[in-house]
Amino acid sequence: MKGVLATDKRGVRELGAEEMVGWDEVTQGVVLPSFDQPIGNAALLRPEERAYSDFNSYTATVASWRVIKPVYNRDICIDCQNCWVWCPDTSIISRDKQMLGIDYDHCKGCGVCVEVCPTNPKSLLMFAEAEAPEDALAKWPEKKKKEKKD
Amino acid sequence: MAITSIKNLKEFSTNNERLEGAHLLCPGCAHSMIVRELLNCTDDNLVVATNTGCLEVSTAVYPYTSWDTSWIHIGFENAATAAAGAEAMYKARKRKGTLKDPDAPVKFVAFGGDGSTYDIGFQWLSGAVERGHDFTYICLDNENYANTGGQRSSATPTGAHTSTAQAGRVSYGKKQKKKDMVAIMAAHGAPYVAQLSPNKWKSMAKGFQKALETEGPCFINTVSACTTEWKFDPKDTIHVTDLATDSLMFPIYEIINGTELNILYRPKNIIPVEEYLAAQGRYRHLFKPENRHVIDMIQKEVNEKWEYLQRREEARV
Amino acid sequence: MAEKMELNEIEVWDGNHAAAQALRQAQVDVVAAYPITPSTPIVEGYGAFMANGYIDGEFVMVESEHAAMSGCVGASAAGGRVATATSSQGFMLMIEVLYQASGMRLPIVLNVVNRAVASPLNVRGDHGDMYAGRDSGWIQLDAFNAQEVYDLNLCAFKIGEDINVRLPVMVHQDGFTTSHTAQNIRPLSDDEAYAFVGDFKPVDEMLDFSKAVTYGAQTEEDWHYEHKAKQHRALMDSYTVIDRVFEEFEKKTGREYKRLETYMMDDAEVAIVALGATVETCILAAKQLREEEGIKAGVVAPRCIRPFPFNEMRDVLANVKAVATLDHSAPMGAMGMLYNEVAGAMVSTQDRPLITNFIYGLGGRDFSINEAKRIFREQKGHADVGYITTEIQQFSGLRGPKLGFYEMKRS
Ligand SMILES: Cc1ncc(C[n+]2csc(CCOP(=O)(O)OP(=O)(O)O)c2C)c(N)n1
Ligand code: SF4
Ligand code: SF4
Ligand code: SF4
Ligand SMILES: [Mg+2]
Repeated sequence: MKGVLATDKRGVRELGAEEMVGWDEVTQGVVLPSFDQPIGNAALLRPEERAYSDFNSYTATVASWRVIKPVYNRDICIDCQNCWVWCPDTSIISRDKQMLGIDYDHCKGCGVCVEVCPTNPKSLLMFAEAEAPEDALAKWPEKKKKEKKD
Repeated sequence: MAITSIKNLKEFSTNNERLEGAHLLCPGCAHSMIVRELLNCTDDNLVVATNTGCLEVSTAVYPYTSWDTSWIHIGFENAATAAAGAEAMYKARKRKGTLKDPDAPVKFVAFGGDGSTYDIGFQWLSGAVERGHDFTYICLDNENYANTGGQRSSATPTGAHTSTAQAGRVSYGKKQKKKDMVAIMAAHGAPYVAQLSPNKWKSMAKGFQKALETEGPCFINTVSACTTEWKFDPKDTIHVTDLATDSLMFPIYEIINGTELNILYRPKNIIPVEEYLAAQGRYRHLFKPENRHVIDMIQKEVNEKWEYLQRREEARV
Repeated sequence: MAEKMELNEIEVWDGNHAAAQALRQAQVDVVAAYPITPSTPIVEGYGAFMANGYIDGEFVMVESEHAAMSGCVGASAAGGRVATATSSQGFMLMIEVLYQASGMRLPIVLNVVNRAVASPLNVRGDHGDMYAGRDSGWIQLDAFNAQEVYDLNLCAFKIGEDINVRLPVMVHQDGFTTSHTAQNIRPLSDDEAYAFVGDFKPVDEMLDFSKAVTYGAQTEEDWHYEHKAKQHRALMDSYTVIDRVFEEFEKKTGREYKRLETYMMDDAEVAIVALGATVETCILAAKQLREEEGIKAGVVAPRCIRPFPFNEMRDVLANVKAVATLDHSAPMGAMGMLYNEVAGAMVSTQDRPLITNFIYGLGGRDFSINEAKRIFREQKGHADVGYITTEIQQFSGLRGPKLGFYEMKRS
């Protein structure tokens, strides 16, 4: 177990890179089991505790869809969980009411999390995909003065 | 029912996700925001049926599923009936004692786009609700057939451009009004009916929980901003949704037992619909001088609807 | 617990009632249905059992046949025994979901009381609906009388639900001729019938919450073909289980069923291949011709339309000189289905028989013993001269100028 931010089976395969088995090996009735073993109700287990099957999209990655990526700055974050509730790709990793970081295997770089982040400056900002996290953090803007509204 | 805490977002965020990433919905798609919220509202087991549409073609593409719940898709029109059939089977097996875990709590949920809900699957939904199956139907209303490239549906509002109700030299887009699905479902006698929106996450979560808890068929229309067909930047999904609820293009309200109407969100500053329309490419043509009257017409209808909802809320009928 | 019903050794039931009784005895968990003539009495009969405490399962009266089959699919995926009934227009409305049921490998039992398909609207029997189902991936069993309707329904559950099959099964009977004609039936007792069918064994059930399953995923060009091939293979292979279930049924009841039924075929020189209640008419005609005119006539009837008994057809027709295939459905621009299936089988044999095609009885038009005899005699004529002297496709019992198509090509 590699921990929460990157678990053993998450995002291990590009979409389309799965083994193209023959007619005799495809599942009966096109049925897809989400887990390898009976795990019970998934709502009672954290992702890192689940026996995901290779058929679960958790094991695939869409990282290549991204051209820009959100970078997370823990120092400013207030753990409000706005980013968590509105991420369309289940890519904000939160545990015990804390925002821990971004699941870069499943994040598509939409930027919604950045828009809904309420801190000043934001605790999430979009950077070029190639930008190293340290460099991004080094470039973090200062607190913006509130513009006077008339 | 095992309701999860929605006291605040921090509490809510302790839930264990049951919609996985690497689905194929567009970046910024609101469908998955809504679905995630439903799945996070309860710890009960779920049997989820889904009509053909963006959600279905994006979350169950062989050899992958993004669902950590039981899930079924049959066709474009019949998710309500699939859920109803599963619910009937549950009752039968419970009575006969053939369930593996008869005490496990379970809820039956169906998702459909507006195309499947307002148009092609209307009859299936109506039938399942009339028969009183214990399930919750959630419409992901993005006001068009997004999966097939953005054609009109009966949920498309007046003036919107779609590929089959186009704006052009002699057309301002869709001429007809949006069907009032919430009223229609309330008229079925459904015990809980609502229109909810993901930007107002708490009222949406509350409404979902009410629907899941209520015995019998419940219907919820959810506002699902579609970055691709409404034509706005993916990052702005929540912003555009805010404009939708604050302009009252999408009023947020519930109807209990067909009579008790409660408005669940009253914008502090109601913004002109123009601001909402201006944020989306599908309404761009309305800003030509010759189409100005359409914006006025839309504004008038929004005002009237708001007035009507407030009166109904007061009247309790 | 549902009440048991005391049945007499011999009951007087029509085909519809026989079907309803079989569904009751199989203790179906969910029946989702919609009424249509002539299958309505199946649903009504089941409703009467329900109202009087004979049913523990759910009876869901939906708002259309499409919804009936949709409800059956949802219910079946939830891991229990499921059945319904329909005819004609209702069957046509169901078709989209028939393909979905078989693609998901759900062992639903559908009673199809065969009836003509509009337009023009007609409530009488022909095989238009049955034929429309033949590419839908279902096992199709054909009952020629009410006793067989009862028997085949019990077999259908056992066949479809077999772990090696897991496919939906249609049990066909002819509208009115079978569905509304009372005859003496020998039913099993409730206990015996249920013991024969057995408990339902769920596979990949949606109500096993320890293991989430996804039903109805999308497959594009990378996967669709393999799935369809696998499904076809399962349907082709299902014959072994069908044979085994028929054997078990015979042991229990003494009533013998074969995927390809044959009558007086041992020494037959000419044969008719037919389906449905017409088979009994043809048997009488063959008997009379043998007695009266010494024509060695025989009858061949697919009990199982899908999977088609290709090999059995080749064996039984191997030494026959002339064959008439009788299609009870408008062929619309081609030879009838039975002609094509039989010709397709026989083309890979050494001594191909002369094969003709008769369209008959559309919309419930009577088909008489005399007409069957005439067709036999005509085949005898072909056999004697060694070629087809008539048009290959003819319309039997039709008013107006004779209608027929194509002649034999002789070198
Ligand atoms: C019977 C049938 N007719 C048409 C289609 C084509 N089709 C698939 S999805 C779709 C539109 C879906 O629109 P909606 O329900 O609004 O869902 P969305 O994709 O917008 O979420 C259409 C027209 C189909 N799959 N089945
Ligand atoms: S960019 Fe989009 S997908 Fe990525 S974490 Fe933020 S909200 Fe989620
Ligand atoms: S929205 Fe911003 S402040 Fe709130 S949890 Fe996410 S990163 Fe932290
Ligand atoms: S087209 Fe619209 S509804 Fe469909 S996935 Fe894209 S954003 Fe979502
Ligand atoms: Mg839509």
